[in-house]
Amino acid sequence: MNPALALKLLSRDWRSGELTLLLGSLIIAVATVTTITLFVDRLQQALVQESAQFLAADRVISGRGELDPEYLQKAESLGLEHAQTLSFLSMVFSADRAQFSSVKAVTDEYPLRGNLIISDEAFRKGDVVARGPAPGKVWLESRLLPSLDLKPGDMLDIGVATFFVEKALIKEPDRGGGFNNVGPRVMMNMVDVPRTEVVQPGSRLSYRYLFSGPESALVEFDEWARPKLGEDFRMFGVKEGTEGIGNALARAERFLLLGGLLGVVLAGVAIALSAQRYSLRHYDHVAILKTLGATPNGIDSLFITIFVTLGLVATGMGSALGFVSQMGIVSILQPFIPIELPAPGMQPVILGLVTGFVCLLSFALPPLIRLRGIEPVRVIRRDLDAGGVNDRLAYACGIFGTLGLMWWYSGDILLTLMIFTGAVVSIIALGIVAYGMLRSGRLLGMQAGSVWRLALAGMQRRGQENTVQILVFSLAIMLLLILFLVRTALIDEWATQIPENAPNHFAINISPEDVQPIRAMLIDNEIAAEAIYPMIQGRISLVNGKRARDYDRQNEEQSQGQEQGQDQDADGPRSSSNRNLTYARSLPDDNVILSGEWWPEDYVGEPLVSLERDIAVRNNLKVGDELTFDIQGRQLGATVASIRSVAWDNMQPNFYIIFSPESLEDFPSTFMTSFFLEREDKIFLNELLRAYPTMTVLEVDAIIAQIKTIIAQVTMAIELVLGLILISGGMVLIASIQASMDERFKQHAILRTLGASQRLVMGSLIVEFCALGFFAGLLATIGSEITVYALETQIFELEYSLNPVLWLLGPAVGTVLIGTVGTLATLRVVRTPPTIVLREIA
Amino acid sequence: MNKEIIIKTVDLSKTVSTSEGELCILKGIDLEIKKSESVAIVGASGSGKTTLLSLIAGLDMPSSGEIHLGRHTITLMDEEQRANVRAEMVGFVFQTFQLLASLTALENVMLPAELKRDREAETKAKELLKRVGLDHRMNHYPRQLSGGEQQRVAIARAFASSAEILFADEPTGNLDTTTGGTIIDLLFELNQDFGSTLVLVTHDLRLAERCDRSIQIASGMIVQVPEVLAAG
Repeated sequence: MNPALALKLLSRDWRSGELTLLLGSLIIAVATVTTITLFVDRLQQALVQESAQFLAADRVISGRGELDPEYLQKAESLGLEHAQTLSFLSMVFSADRAQFSSVKAVTDEYPLRGNLIISDEAFRKGDVVARGPAPGKVWLESRLLPSLDLKPGDMLDIGVATFFVEKALIKEPDRGGGFNNVGPRVMMNMVDVPRTEVVQPGSRLSYRYLFSGPESALVEFDEWARPKLGEDFRMFGVKEGTEGIGNALARAERFLLLGGLLGVVLAGVAIALSAQRYSLRHYDHVAILKTLGATPNGIDSLFITIFVTLGLVATGMGSALGFVSQMGIVSILQPFIPIELPAPGMQPVILGLVTGFVCLLSFALPPLIRLRGIEPVRVIRRDLDAGGVNDRLAYACGIFGTLGLMWWYSGDILLTLMIFTGAVVSIIALGIVAYGMLRSGRLLGMQAGSVWRLALAGMQRRGQENTVQILVFSLAIMLLLILFLVRTALIDEWATQIPENAPNHFAINISPEDVQPIRAMLIDNEIAAEAIYPMIQGRISLVNGKRARDYDRQNEEQSQGQEQGQDQDADGPRSSSNRNLTYARSLPDDNVILSGEWWPEDYVGEPLVSLERDIAVRNNLKVGDELTFDIQGRQLGATVASIRSVAWDNMQPNFYIIFSPESLEDFPSTFMTSFFLEREDKIFLNELLRAYPTMTVLEVDAIIAQIKTIIAQVTMAIELVLGLILISGGMVLIASIQASMDERFKQHAILRTLGASQRLVMGSLIVEFCALGFFAGLLATIGSEITVYALETQIFELEYSLNPVLWLLGPAVGTVLIGTVGTLATLRVVRTPPTIVLREIA
Repeated sequence: MNKEIIIKTVDLSKTVSTSEGELCILKGIDLEIKKSESVAIVGASGSGKTTLLSLIAGLDMPSSGEIHLGRHTITLMDEEQRANVRAEMVGFVFQTFQLLASLTALENVMLPAELKRDREAETKAKELLKRVGLDHRMNHYPRQLSGGEQQRVAIARAFASSAEILFADEPTGNLDTTTGGTIIDLLFELNQDFGSTLVLVTHDLRLAERCDRSIQIASGMIVQVPEVLAAG
C-alpha cells in the first residue's frame, strides 16, 4: 500500500473531523497516564525519601557485631555513602547523679537521610543540623538534663571518659525502639568510644551500618549483600524498616498503581470506542477501495500506517500535555503538599509514550482489523457487515494488550487477573441484566406518555447497542466507584489505626511488685494506660519433637527453592529465635483468630499457645503442633491452639506468642504496658523513672507523629490521583455517547421530518439518557460492591463492609451524569435542521 | 473475426440463508461476453441482475459454479487474489457514485493508479477529468459537486486504472433524464475510445438498446439472450 496515500487519507480524515474524537481520546489518555505516572513517580520518590529519614538512610545492616569491611568497600565501589552507629546501654554520671541511658555513638557522616534537631535548652523547638556531635562533645535527650541536673556547658561521664555537654538533643531521625534504645539518649562521636572503656567483650552492642545513594546502586548492593549476610545481621530498607510506615506506604503504592491501572483501562475503553466509531464510518471507504483493487493486506497496511502516524502524533502531544499538566498540578498543590517533590524524570514520559502506543494498538486493533474483512460488494449492498475476519485474533490482541498493560502498570499479576476476570464476568452477567432492564423499560414505556414511550421504545429497538452502551457507562462508573470506595476504606483504616490518643509510650521491665503502684501512679496522674502484660524471654527449642534450628534450616531450603516472590516469607520471624512471651486470658484488641480457637477465660489445663500468623506461616506451624519452649533454661511443652493476625501498626503491646493463663506463672517475669502522654506532660517520665528506676520507658511518640505525617501525605496523593482518573472516566462517557451519536442523529432527524416537535425529541433524548444512566449506575453499584469486596479482602487486607450509601449514590450519579452529558452532547440534534443532519450522516 | 471471450460463467448459482430458509437468487447462469462488447443486464427489481454483476465483477462469491475473467478463474481465488484482478482489469461505475467524501475530485480519480503506486497517477487523472469536462472542478470535494458531476468523476475514476472491463450498476439511477443521457453518452464514448468491455445493469430498456446485446434476468435465471446486434 502506498504510504503517501495513507498519509493523504489521514490528513483528509483529520480535516473532515473523522479523527478528532479518536485523536482527542488518545491525547487525553496519554496525557492522563503521563500525568499520573509522572506525579506518582515524583510523589513516590518523595515519600520514600521522606520515609528514609526514619532509618537515617536508604538501607541499613544491623547486627550485634562489627560488619566485615568488604561490605563497606563494596558500597564505596558502587558509589554509595555510608555511616555507622553503635548503641549500648550504660550508666552515665553527672557530678552528683547517675542515670541508666541509651548511648549512641555516630560517625561523622551520620545521618545520611533526615536531620538532627538540637537546642541550647531542654524541651525547646531547636535547630536543624546535618551532623552529629564533634569528638569530646555529647548531646543529651531533653529529659536527661533535668534528671541528671545538667545543662549545656556542664560535663558528663560515660565509663572512664568525661565529655562536654554541648546541646539538648530534641530529635534524631532513626530514634526507633529496640533493646539498646530504651533509655534516654546520649549521643556521642564514634571516635570517643574506645576511651570510655565501656565496650568490652560480652557487652550487648547494637551496630547499624547505614547506606544511601542512587536506587540502582542500592538494588545492586542489596542483591550482593543479602545472600552473604550471616544469621547475626539483618538488612532492611524503608519498607521493611518500620512496620507502620511500611504498611502505609505499601498500601498507598498499591492504590496509586491501581489508580494508574484503572486510568489505563478507562483510556483504553475511550480509545476502543473512538476506534470503533472510526472503523464503522470507514466501512464504505474500504469497500470502495476494494472495488478499486485494494487487497485485504493492503487495507491492513493502509490503516496501520494511519494509526501508527496518529499514534506518534497523539503520544507526542499527550506526553507533552501530561508533562505540562503535571507541572501545573504540582505548582498549584506545592503549598499543600508537605514534602519537597524531586525533579521529574524522563522515564515516566517514556512510559507514557509506550503506554499510548500499546493502548492504541491493543484497544484500536480489534475494530481496525475488522476493516480488512469488509466485502467489496458492500458498495451495492450496504447492509453487509464486516465478514471473513478472524475476530478471535483481533480480540486476542486486544485482550493480551489490555492484560499486558494492566500487569505492567500494577506490577501485580494477582491484582491484574482479579480486575480482568472481574470485569469479564461482570460484563457477561451485567449484559444479561442490562438487556432485561431494557425490555422491562419497554413494558413500562407502553403505559407512559409519548415522550417516555418514544424514548423507551427507541432504547429497546436498539437493544444490543444500548446494552453495550449501558455496559460501557457502568464500567466507567464502576471503576470510579471502586477507586472511591477503596480510597475511603484505606483512609478510614489509617485513621482508625492510630487513633488520636493511641499509646505513645511503652513501659517495660516492670517488676511484679511494681505493677500495682505504677498502675496507681498512672491513674493518679490521669494517664490512660493499656492492659499490663507479663513478659518472659524464651525460644522454641523443639517443633513436634524435631530441633527448632534444624526445622528452620529445612524451611529455609524449601523457601530458597521457591520463586522470588516468596522473599518476604524468607525474611519473616524464625521459630528458633528468642522472643518475648506472654500469657493472657482474653484475646488482645485488634487480634483476630484465623484458625483454631482462643481458650476460655477460665481455662485451666495443659499449656496452650496462640501464634501470630507470620511466624506460623514462615515456619509452617499449624494448630495442633506440639512445641517445646526453652525458658530460662527450663523446658515447657505447649500445643498450638490458634493462629491469629496482629495489627502490628496499632502501637499497642503485641506478641508473636501468647500462652494460656497460668502456663508461665512458675517462671519469673517482668511486665509491660503502654500509655498515652501529651508532649507537654513528658516531664512526668522523670518522676516515673525516679520512682521506679528499674523500669524502662520506650518513647514512640515521635514515630507516631512521623507516621501520621506520612499518612497525611499519602492521603493527599491518593485524592489527587482519584481526581485525575475522574477526567479519564469523563472521557469514556463522552466517547461512548459520541459513538452512538450517528444513529441517534439519524433517527431523531427522521422523526423531526415526520413532524415531531423539538420538545418531544428533546424530552425523549433526556429520558433515554437518564434511563441509560440509571441502569448503568445500578449495574456499576453491583459490580463495584463485588470487586471492592475482592480487592479489600485479597489485596489491601482490609475489613470489608457493605456500602448502603452506594446503592443510592450509584444510580443517582449515573442518572444525573449520563443524563446531563448525553443531553448536552445531543443538543445539536434538536437545534440543527433535520435536512442538514441527514446530509451529515449520509 | 471472432473476438476473444473475456467474461465467462458456468452454471453459476447464488443462494443466501434467510430466517425463512435458503433463498435462491441466481440459478444455473451460463454466460459469455466478448472483449470490447457492451452488454446490458436487464430485469425487474429483485430479479438478481445486480447480484449477477457483483459476482462476475468479483465483488462477491457464488454458491456454486465458475467465473472466468480473462485468463483468471476468480472462483478459485481468495479475496487477496481477486482484489489484484480487480486492480488489473476492472473498473466500476455505481448508481450512488461511491466517491470518497474526504478526497477531492482529482484525488478520487487518482486513487486506482495510486493503489498501484503509479507515478503518473496525477497526470492521468487530470487528463481524464478534462475528458469528462471537469477540469475546472478538480479540487472540489464530492459534496460540492452535483449528482451528474459526481458521476462524471466516478466514470473518470473507472477509466483511470486502464480497466479492460467496465461494470456499471444503474449509472443513471440517481440522475434526471437529461443529465442521465449526457452521462450515458460520455460512458459509451469513453468505452469506445478505451476499447473496454462494458457490462451495464439497468432497468431502462432505452439504455439497454444502446448496448451490443441485452441479457434478461427473471427470478434468478437468464430468460432471453437476444441475437448479437452488433458485429461480434
